[in-house]
Amino acid sequence: MKIFHYINFSLIFLFLVAICVIEDVYVNKSLTQTQYDCLQLEKQLEYDESLLTMQMSLLVDNLQYHWDNNESDLCYMVNHKSIQEIGTEIAKIKSYVASNDVDAFKVSIETIKYYCKAYLHFMGASGHNIL
Amino acid sequence: MLTIVARSIIIYLIVLLVFRLMGKRQIGQMQPFELVLTLIIADLATIPMAEVSVPVLHGIIPLLTLSILHFIITLLTKKSVTFSRIVSGKPVIIINPKGLDYKAMKQLNLTIDDILAALRNCGYFSIAEVQYAIMETSGKVSVMPKAEYTPATNGALGLKEDDSLIPITLVSEGKIIQANMKLAGMDEEKIKNITQQNGAKKIKDVLVLTMDKTGSAYIQLMEGEGKSISCEVIPA
Repeated sequence: MKIFHYINFSLIFLFLVAICVIEDVYVNKSLTQTQYDCLQLEKQLEYDESLLTMQMSLLVDNLQYHWDNNESDLCYMVNHKSIQEIGTEIAKIKSYVASNDVDAFKVSIETIKYYCKAYLHFMGASGHNIL
Repeated sequence: MLTIVARSIIIYLIVLLVFRLMGKRQIGQMQPFELVLTLIIADLATIPMAEVSVPVLHGIIPLLTLSILHFIITLLTKKSVTFSRIVSGKPVIIINPKGLDYKAMKQLNLTIDDILAALRNCGYFSIAEVQYAIMETSGKVSVMPKAEYTPATNGALGLKEDDSLIPITLVSEGKIIQANMKLAGMDEEKIKNITQQNGAKKIKDVLVLTMDKTGSAYIQLMEGEGKSISCEVIPA
């Protein structure tokens, strides 16, 4: 019985460690991917000021596709409300592309980058977050 | 709504698992750290149940973390007396042969009424009857009465009595408990005979039938009073 208890708690401990590692890796991977997609959009904008190009549409679709996939997985580990702003901004970006509103587009990209940076800060394990 | 139902089931099962791993203790028998853990678990479990935006893992992870913490603290309290004293405290004598220990009472924040109530719970209605009363770490009071108020035992009176036998339940709420029949040296036919002799047309009419190995039994029908009877048993 004692051995059974030790095994049980060892398994729980391993499960907790695994969950913590998976969360850290996944959150980092997802948000870094989003940041990278935003950088690609900025680069494209530097190259061509118009939003009404095939390349820009592809990059925006890419950003949305990656985020949709990552968001559904992140919801297992992170409070859904904490990450919904990125999805909202991506939806706005799609409408700015359609209306070729470059200024609003740039603001949304900056907002997404800001949210990614902020989430990376408060989702990781650090002294600030623990206390 | 279905999400909340599913989440409630998951959290319930996890809380059940955590409590099973913690062991069986009633609230009154809990050590301070166990009581704290129980209160936190009760609160933690409700958050992911009702809040759909919070992942279920946010409820499960703290529950499992607390169960590990509890396991470690229990282990340490078993290994180290000092640690056990820090976490659970130590028993305190509140009544000694000289009377009430006022210093201990103040230390434990106890009033005379609290002590009298605890003594009454133990069957003693006067402080004069008590030699020692000890406040255990679980908050319960153990009492050692003065010699003249100690209940007489068969041993003290020099009486020889057989060890008492545990009655076995043969019928419970109209159903025969098959596993107990052999233990009591009975078979189904005999049980039916006994119940019919005592006014039950069918087994379904019997609320309870218990019997010990000597054949001493107690029967109560669904509608009627209970009575003690004597039965013949098959030697095992």
